[in-house]
This record gives sequence, C-alpha cells and structure tokens, in this order.
Amino acid sequence: MSMIAMQGVTKRYERGGETLTVLERLDLTVPKGDFVALMGPSGSGKSTILNLVGGLDVPDEGRISVAGQEITAMSRADLPAWRSRHVGFVFQAFNLVPVLTALENVLLPLNLQPLSRAERRKQAEFALQVVGLSDRMHHRPRQLSGGQEQRVAIARAIVTDPDLVLADEPTGDLDRESANAVMDLLRRLNNEMKKTLVVVTHDPVAAEHARRVLHLDKGVLAREVQNPASSRAAAEAGGAR
Amino acid sequence: MSMPLRLVGRHLRAHWLRTALTITSLVVTLFLFCFLVSIVTTLEDMVKQSATNRLFVQSAVSLFQDIPLDYQSKIDQVPGTDKVTKFQWFGSYYKERDNFLAQFGVDHEIFLDMYRREMEILGPDGKPSEEARQAAQAALAADRRACIIGEGLVRDEKFQWKVGDTVPIQSTFFAKTDGTAWDFNVVAVYHPLKANFDDRQIFFRYDYLEEMIKAGLCVGAQGVGVYVVNVEDGHDNGQVIADIDGLFANGPQRTMTMTEAAFQALFVSMMGNVPLFLGVIGGAVVFAVVFSVVNTMLMSARQRTHEVGILKALGYTDGAVGWLLLVESLVLSLLGGGLGVALAVGLAEPMRVGMGKFFPQYTVHPETAVWGLVISLGVGVVAGLGPALAASRLRPVQALRSEG
Repeated sequence: MSMIAMQGVTKRYERGGETLTVLERLDLTVPKGDFVALMGPSGSGKSTILNLVGGLDVPDEGRISVAGQEITAMSRADLPAWRSRHVGFVFQAFNLVPVLTALENVLLPLNLQPLSRAERRKQAEFALQVVGLSDRMHHRPRQLSGGQEQRVAIARAIVTDPDLVLADEPTGDLDRESANAVMDLLRRLNNEMKKTLVVVTHDPVAAEHARRVLHLDKGVLAREVQNPASSRAAAEAGGAR
Repeated sequence: MSMPLRLVGRHLRAHWLRTALTITSLVVTLFLFCFLVSIVTTLEDMVKQSATNRLFVQSAVSLFQDIPLDYQSKIDQVPGTDKVTKFQWFGSYYKERDNFLAQFGVDHEIFLDMYRREMEILGPDGKPSEEARQAAQAALAADRRACIIGEGLVRDEKFQWKVGDTVPIQSTFFAKTDGTAWDFNVVAVYHPLKANFDDRQIFFRYDYLEEMIKAGLCVGAQGVGVYVVNVEDGHDNGQVIADIDGLFANGPQRTMTMTEAAFQALFVSMMGNVPLFLGVIGGAVVFAVVFSVVNTMLMSARQRTHEVGILKALGYTDGAVGWLLLVESLVLSLLGGGLGVALAVGLAEPMRVGMGKFFPQYTVHPETAVWGLVISLGVGVVAGLGPALAASRLRPVQALRSEG
C-alpha cells in the first residue's frame, strides 16, 4: 500500500512577474514504511514536494493522496486537522518556539489531540525519551545544542504518532557528528516504529541512511538509487579492485 | 493554563519592556479617561441633586448685576413663596488669594431653616442635633460678625478653623476701606446632607455687610446678586417663576428666576461646554492609545510570523492562530486598562480631597469604571483584530519562509 501517491503534480510560483515551474507533471509513489531521501540541486523542487505532501501548500495541477486520503480534494479548513493527525514535520532550522521549553514544544501538537493533560504529558515525555533528551525537557531551545534542538523537533514530529514524517534538510545546520546522530534517529523511527520518512537533503552521507534516494532535476525525477549505503560500498569496493 | 495561553504569557514576558510600556500607556489613558468622565458626571450630579422646591432669582442681565434690596419683600408676596433669603457672594480669601472661599451673606433669621435638607449643624461633641441648630441660630442672632462654616474648613490643614475662632478674611468684592481684613467669629460648623452641597462654604449675616456699606467702611453697592426662594409644597415652580419675573418685567431691574437645577447648570455652562471639551480630550487620548497598542501588536505579529507558520504546520487552524494574537492584545489592553480604571477608583477619594474647592463631590461612578473596561476591551479588539486576521490568512508555507 502506498503512503504517498502524487499524480501529474505541477507547481508554479510567480517571482518578479515571471512564472517559475518548480514541479512539472510529477508522478511519485512512496510505499508505507519506506524511507526516501530526496536529493537534487537547489530549486529542483525537493522542498516543494514536502510542502505539498504535508498539505502546507497546494499544487496547481495534479492529485496527491497520503495514507489513502486525497489531500488535494480537502478544503483549507480541513487540512490543519488532517496534518495534526497524519504528518510530523522536521525542519532545517529546527523551528522550535523559543519561549517554550523542550517539553512544551513537544506538547504543542498534542494540544490538538483529544487527550487528558496527564496523557499528553506522558506522551511528550516518552517522545523526549525516544530521542534521548529526558534530562533536557525543561530547557529552552537556546539552552540546547543544535543537535539537541533537532532531536526535540523530531520528538515533536513523532509525538502524535503520525503515519508520515517529513524532514526538510534536517542535518543542514548540524556538524557531522550531530548530523549522523539525527539520521540514525530517523532510521530508528523507520526501522523500529515503522514510520514512513521522506527526507530532503543535500548531504550524500545523510542520504545513505535512507532505503532509496530519488534525484530530482528541474522538477522531474531524474534518477533513483536503491539502498544507497550498499551501492556506495559496492562502488568503493569495485574502485578498489 | 492551556498551552496557547501559556504561549501568550511567555511572549508578553519575553518582551517585557514593550509589554510594560504598552501597559503603562493604557494605565495612564484609562485613568485619564475615568478622571475626565468623572469630572463631567460630578458636574451633572450637582445639577441632578438640586432641591426641587428652590428657586434662584438673579438679574436678567447677568449674575454679576445686583438686584435691588426692595425686591425681597415683593418676591415674598408672590403666591407659593415660602421663604426668601438674600444670597450675596462675598468674593473672599484667607491670607492668600489661593485660599479662595465660597462665602455668602444671608438672612440669618431664616437661612438655617431654609437649608434644613442641605445641612445639619454639629454640636460640641461633633454630632448633629436640633439643639446645635438652635444654638447656632442664637449665636448668629447675638453676634453680627458671626459666621457658620463647613466641616471641610475644619479638616483642611490650611484653615483648621474651629468654633470660637476669629478668622481674618479679605474680600475682593467688598474690600474694607482701611485695607484691613474682615473679622468673622466662627459660631457653628455644618455637615452637608447632600453630595452637591459644598462642605467648605461660609455663611454670615448679610445685615453686617449692609451696615458696613452704609457706614462707608467698605466698598461695594447695596443690592444683592441672588435671592433664594423656597417654594411651598403643592405649588408649581413654573407658575412661581412666571409670577416673580412678571412682577419685575417693567423694571427697574428685570429678573431671571430659575430652579436650583437650572442655576447649577448655568454655573456649569459658565465654564464653557465642559462635557464637550473633556469629551474631546478623553476621546483624543483613547484614540492615541489605540495607535500605541496597534503598533505593539503589529510589531508582535511581525516577529511571530515564523511562529505562525510553525503552529500551522503542526495542525493549528487559521482561527486558532489568529485567536492567539487577539488574546495577546486583549490581555494587554485589559491588564493596562483594568489597572488604569482601578487606579482611578482607588484614588477617587484622595483626589476629591485634593480638588476640594473645585469639585467637592468628585467621585468615580461604577458606570464610568464599566465604560473604562469596555473601552479597554474595545482597544484590545481593534488593536488585535488586524494582526489576528493577517496571521489567520497567512499560508503556512509563506509564514515559514519569513525570518524566524
């Protein structure tokens, strides 16, 4: 069963009086439980795919279904409730609310769920435990390192137990060590919690954590690599011989 | 506290200086609003609390034009007239011109009886009694320099007068020809029974003034500025007014007779259109603070655009995000406005004492306080609505692209 199904999706932007086509009749299917890395040059439409799949933006043409629901048929008023139940976002700049503590940031999406206060807190603490930040839950974002902030953002993304996690350059602002920790965490979410993940990245090392890598160029899918880590190992082994 | 409200509180605390300045401007504005409105309502109260059975007779030309003394006996003959007293403004002050006094020469034989509903005389024990009234009446009759003072002059540190004191008073209207002060003997203290009856007045014998004028010991002409008439129960004020004014329609001095309420209203109107003047100032102040709070909310909303994007990405609806900004504006305005109103109510009594001689009945009505809170609410809605609508209309992807 597919988690994401994009059919003939076109997205255009108006910039300075010119129309820029970012995605051109794109067809993309991501099966449930997959871990996909989207790569490509700037402006190739990677982040636009995330925004469209997450219901943050709407396509000019085409249809998008997520977890069996056609989100392009939903009204603007219906999308927030759908998003809160089905999608978790992780952003490059972490996007934590600076005036709230780590725990409070993780609680934000839970406020939209029909849970008691105690249940919310229990779930938020569990999410922080999953990302290894139980001892930092009362810290404000500015009191955390970049890697820790991103782990809080991941906890916030998974706290409502969504079907799909969308990460836009999650390691873009991190050093290598922190980036690896974040990607390991995302892979664990995929392996152990069976979350479907779509990660946009420029970083080939980060992309190796995915099950497959999709390369975009000028709004169309240019290339697909299955099991990128083993492919690279095989390529390196071949080169060594 | 729910998370969204906590978010509002945290933002207000995070920008504490901006929050404090906005709240301070609202405190000052609503305090001023309540004060100005209360001045107007105090003036209106003076008119509303006027005696319904009392008429004031003055010159048709002006309040400052005296009317002849022989009018009194003619007015007394008008059907429906119960008692008539002279009520002569003395234009006096104590030691310095700043210590202005509301002092009147009256017909001492009947004055205390005419003003039974307005004041009671305090005895030596400080309590009002009929005996004290009779004693005061006797003391007035026995001493031509006797005077009765309001308890406000006893309490005021600048005066601290008491029964038995001889007080030197200067008059700008009836200055003594030798340049010395008039000496009056305090024989009784009154306590006002109505809020619109000033507790700082002095009443003395008109015949003493008349003697001094006749003897050439003071400047000023014979005559009287105002006659006060008590109307008998069951008589129509309008008819008595028409009869009195009709009596002098052909001169030598035409009169203008009016009810006490109309007389009080005339006094208020002599200050100009006070309600309009104060209303314009109050309105302008409130108008200005709306801009101040709007500016604060616009700054706050601009800084929070990125956060709006985050909340929307997490699933918060357009309405919920807009509501957060509106609530922030309402919290600011109600906190500041509420404090301003509370301050105006809390300081009403000290201000009444401070403004004693100008607005001795100054008070902040509950309606004024409620209006102050309603205006605070209105300021909050007006200031918060624009940013709230803008935030709610923002597409999440647009908001997320803004600077965090």
